[in-house]
Amino acid sequence: MKRIKVKAELCAGCRQCEMVCSFEHFNKFSPSLARITVHKEDRYGLDYPVACRQCNECPPIEACPEQALSRKDGLTWCSWQDCTGCGICEKVCTYDAIKVTDKALVCDQCGGDPQCVARCPTGTLEYAEMPPSTETPVEAFSRLKEEWGFE
Amino acid sequence: MSKGYAGKVLRINVSDGSYRTDPLDMNEARQYIGGRGFNAAKLYKEVLAGTDPLGPDNKLMVATGPLVGTMFPTASRFNVSARSPLTGIFGDTNAGGHFAPEMKFAGYDQIIVEGKAEKPSYISIREDVVEIRNADGIWGSTVFEADIGIKKQLKDQWTQTLICGPAAENGVMYAGLFANQVRAAARTGMGTVMASKNIKGIAVRGTGAIEVHDPDGFKELVLTLEGEIRNHEQFEGRRLMGTTRILMMADKGGFLPTRNYTQGTFEHASEVSGERLAAEYNVKGRGCFACTIPCSRIYSIREGQFKGVHGEGPEYESLGSFTSRLGNRDIELALTANDLCNQLGIDILSTVGAIGWAMELYEDGKLSKEETGGLELNWGNKEAIITLIHQISKREGFGDILADGAFKAAEKLGKGHDAVIAVKGMDLIMADPRGLKGFGLGYAVATRGGDHLRSEPFIELADDPSIGQEMFGAPGASMRRSDVGKGKLITYFEDWCAVIDALQPCKNIMQNMMILQFPRAAEALELATGIKLTEQEIMDVGSRITTVERMFGIREGIGRKDDTVPKRFTDTPLTEGGSSDTVMDIELMLDEYYTERGWSLETGHPTPAALRRLGLDHLAGDLA
Repeated sequence: MKRIKVKAELCAGCRQCEMVCSFEHFNKFSPSLARITVHKEDRYGLDYPVACRQCNECPPIEACPEQALSRKDGLTWCSWQDCTGCGICEKVCTYDAIKVTDKALVCDQCGGDPQCVARCPTGTLEYAEMPPSTETPVEAFSRLKEEWGFE
Repeated sequence: MSKGYAGKVLRINVSDGSYRTDPLDMNEARQYIGGRGFNAAKLYKEVLAGTDPLGPDNKLMVATGPLVGTMFPTASRFNVSARSPLTGIFGDTNAGGHFAPEMKFAGYDQIIVEGKAEKPSYISIREDVVEIRNADGIWGSTVFEADIGIKKQLKDQWTQTLICGPAAENGVMYAGLFANQVRAAARTGMGTVMASKNIKGIAVRGTGAIEVHDPDGFKELVLTLEGEIRNHEQFEGRRLMGTTRILMMADKGGFLPTRNYTQGTFEHASEVSGERLAAEYNVKGRGCFACTIPCSRIYSIREGQFKGVHGEGPEYESLGSFTSRLGNRDIELALTANDLCNQLGIDILSTVGAIGWAMELYEDGKLSKEETGGLELNWGNKEAIITLIHQISKREGFGDILADGAFKAAEKLGKGHDAVIAVKGMDLIMADPRGLKGFGLGYAVATRGGDHLRSEPFIELADDPSIGQEMFGAPGASMRRSDVGKGKLITYFEDWCAVIDALQPCKNIMQNMMILQFPRAAEALELATGIKLTEQEIMDVGSRITTVERMFGIREGIGRKDDTVPKRFTDTPLTEGGSSDTVMDIELMLDEYYTERGWSLETGHPTPAALRRLGLDHLAGDLA
């Protein structure tokens, strides 16, 4: 299936993806309403946008006490009717890819045309057929630090 | 409440920890738009003439604009203002990064810090909860350590900080404030003011949202601007090199300040160029919030004397400052010094203004080794440069004298001001006005002292008379070696810069790439906020901001006598390169400028009529 691919070495950390995501879903601007979040380590200029990777095994679906999370059209999806905003999914997600602001926010790939990808100014994000990524931001940062000679 | 704005002003008294929020004054918003405008309006009202810049009565104001905290390209910036300890007039500095949008998400367009804390502290703002927290373990640390330390103490990696370094704590008069560790709001000593209040930094965190007046229209404009920026002929050069692309351009034009402005070309320019930096040291690009051209860069030195040094930037001003300005051909020294200044929290232009002045005197035999405490200040002495950065930051040895800035150092040592490259005590940037005369007039009249970012008349770089003819009916306006036509040029560009600084996108993109001219700026303001201004009205906002800041200086005693440039620019032509054999006719240029502004030719003060036209009648009483 198609997933949002991240090339962390290209990310400039501008967070336009967060603004675009929030605007396209809620018509207003807030990182707290974005389903994508840029993790950073400023001392090394490292940036990594995190959105749902659509893992084959999804711990939040298993853990949701309300069964609000499920698969819909192949994607992890939250029924806001059932979600109580308890935040368990946020805690158990391996990749910090779920954000709970009132209700759980999970990337919906904008129905097949993810706007974060369309508007990324550096080409960091790509929408492509690929297996789910398993690299965490911390792992990506370690890899890049070594590659770039940071001590 | 109007859209676009967060809607509140936060006022914190750090003497007793009290704070209050006021709703944004929408009349003030119409008159000043935001950011630098809000600070100008309130600072004029609240910080009266003669206030001790480092006393509890000075106020530190941080403000951002109505486009920030949205997807408007490059809208990420904020201004910090107070009475400046370096110049004694309107102190003001601007930076990007992610601090300003976080202020908006926390609910504030402006944060005002008053008083003086009893002991070293920092301010934590989490929406409606404001705390003055003990800075034990953080006071005394570098900018980078303090950023990490505060986030750890608050147990919140998503908080944004604005921090001063140890240099500010030690009372260096040009210490800055830093967001995201390296986004420097470093001019005019605003870090020094913060530290004088016993405050190490402001941490802000918010989860709110910004709405805009016309979401569909706003998106359409944003997409248009993003397209224009991406398709611009300068896009690729800016993406790869940021402002460092200017260095070779300046050398070719003969206005690259070399050996403290005694030369306009540097024989080793290509060794210290933006092109070389990009090819050999850059590992990735970086950008401020919502930027379409992330133009900042991360560098890494992987071998040699400076192995292990890494950091962000440098911008042209920093790269040129630590190379041609000091006669140094080693680019790695510049990268190392850039990172060091960011860690210690000092303004690079004023640091190099002081070191460059001292080196020129030393080379000319006017400053002895005894006076420098044993330092041999020959051009390009790398060890001396690094030593002085440390000494300045600690106010130790010869650095203690330089820590007051070149202007005051010259006074203290009785050396005269001939080699001091500053206006009103503020050290100039890296562009020789003998080859960019409009820039020179801009330095002379800028409301915060010698500065290009109050006007930045970049059309001079094209050196094409047809641009000036079309814009102002004055071909000389856009000819870089012409003295004529600059009054209109600088008035227009000052007003334009003030409007950009009020809306708070990036001047580098929105102004220098001709993306957001006045009609577009008015359109953006209306789509975001619903405030409708005509082209003339939004230009007047720019004039109003400039005039109020000017009046702040006038109240402190400045006037035409202070609107000047260092003597060598009016008396001594360069002998080589593309800007040789000409000097500035500053008096002619000032006459043109005051005439254009409707100010007195004799005093350089706004006339009562000029004030009235901008609705500033109430300031007329302050004209002596």
